[in-house]
Amino acid sequence: MTLRFAEIFAWLAAGLLLAGPAVPARAQPTAADGGFSTAEIARIAGHGPWPMPWHGDPGNRVSGNDAAIRLGFRLFFDPGLSANGRISCASCHDPARGFQDGRANAQGLRTGTRNTPGVLDVRHQRWFGWDGAHDNLWSASLRPIVDPGEMGGSAARSAARLRNDPDLACHYRQAFGKAPDSADADLLVNIAKAIAAWQETLVSPRTAFDHFRDALLANDASGIGAYPAAAKRGLRLFLGPGQCATCHAGPQFSNGEFADIGVPFFIKPDGVDPGRQGGIRRLLANPNNLLGRGNDDATRGNATATRHLRPEHRNFGEFKVPTLRNLRQTAPYMHNGSLASLPEVVRHYSELDEDRLHSDGERILKPLRLSEGEAADLVAFLESISAALPATAMAAPLTAPGCRPR
Amino acid sequence: MKSRRWRHGGVPCLALLCGLGLATQGLAACPVDKGFSAVSSPPPLQLAWRPLLQDGTAIAPELIPMARHFLVEVQLCDGAGPSPATLSRIDATMPAHRHGMNYRPRIRQVGAGRFRVEGMMFHMSGDWRLEFELTAGTEVQRLFHDLAIR
Repeated sequence: MTLRFAEIFAWLAAGLLLAGPAVPARAQPTAADGGFSTAEIARIAGHGPWPMPWHGDPGNRVSGNDAAIRLGFRLFFDPGLSANGRISCASCHDPARGFQDGRANAQGLRTGTRNTPGVLDVRHQRWFGWDGAHDNLWSASLRPIVDPGEMGGSAARSAARLRNDPDLACHYRQAFGKAPDSADADLLVNIAKAIAAWQETLVSPRTAFDHFRDALLANDASGIGAYPAAAKRGLRLFLGPGQCATCHAGPQFSNGEFADIGVPFFIKPDGVDPGRQGGIRRLLANPNNLLGRGNDDATRGNATATRHLRPEHRNFGEFKVPTLRNLRQTAPYMHNGSLASLPEVVRHYSELDEDRLHSDGERILKPLRLSEGEAADLVAFLESISAALPATAMAAPLTAPGCRPR
Repeated sequence: MKSRRWRHGGVPCLALLCGLGLATQGLAACPVDKGFSAVSSPPPLQLAWRPLLQDGTAIAPELIPMARHFLVEVQLCDGAGPSPATLSRIDATMPAHRHGMNYRPRIRQVGAGRFRVEGMMFHMSGDWRLEFELTAGTEVQRLFHDLAIR
């Protein structure tokens, strides 16, 4: 495994921190290090580097394949896969909104009950969807195509679209090395794998926080000074009293797992969203999970998480810990889109209703009781983990050589 | 649970997990491998473990990466050699959080007194407690090891 300098530094910093007395503690943090202690710097280091190294998806044989990426781009924006010919993946995952839609609940053929998750940086995820009902990106990309409430398509419709569109068929041949004449169900899987290959290219840009983090590790006073004071105060709250980093950990600011944070899981008028509990049930029943034949990793080495899942009573009402990157582009928030702004999210944690938490759930969740200034600082920090998306993030990959431009 | 007798070189070893103290005969027959961390155990039992990354690279316990799967190798020795006890269960909890792991590890015996565990993950930073359950016949003993994940 190749480690970048910053990663090595982070490991060393963590090791030194844990070594305890062997590390000469600084008496006072100085302005040069942003006022952060050695322990805090070690924890800040753990939120990078960004972007993270990535080595492809062994479960998707066209992961990283240029031709598949070109095909996946076309399919992602193609409404022809939907039942009414008007809805594409991009209808909800809008590039201009961080690949989200700005709605509280997703709007496909029907109005859904959950907020549309963005797909930037999705290649680093272990579980997909708010309930983690998918353990791989291509399976997660397939479901909305055939979900009656979303695109309402089918394997037959998708296969016909692929076979009958010369441009798509040409790109399919380039990506998979053969004409799209397999069985419909197999073509649908390959469509999903191509869409996944394209989504894997969507990486959010470096942010003010990333520049600060790297400057801190490089002892770059100018870079450290450029990070706003309010964001620094918010970061200290995030790492310390807020205990936010306990779950919102690592470069993605998420541990990739699930939690109940007291957001109601009732669905109007009388339903309930079981969250992770239902997600595990659906995952294990899905033939497209990583234990199934669609997994291109013959070793099944990528199926560890699925193989070792442990369903628990506390999973009811748990939802995925989301990344905190790109929050400025992806309001509203929470699994049901019930909080419209970042100040509302911070207020949720500040005034947390402990009676709403699962009796089997996380015990360290307590109301933060933040002052107005502290809440503003925390928002300033959260906003510093977003950056304007460059136009290149949504640029169309070129037409494959030998295929006719649309 | 079916009862059975433990024997090492013909020496009855029934008292092993009760810690009644068979004379320690040195560890020459079962030296704990270098790089393994000892867990406090009643003599003459010795339990040592080490974590490995998914690619098989051994790491120090304090460098177990948070929210990533890892493997564990466990070595069980007693005064006479490899312990006849079995690692029947391994788990981990966060006492302050009152929950454990989201994954159920699986244990495979890979040799005399040697076990390999797959599917471990510490999904949150904080203080974790590893629990090793050892079984010999009808006797069961649990050993604990605390560590912090950052």
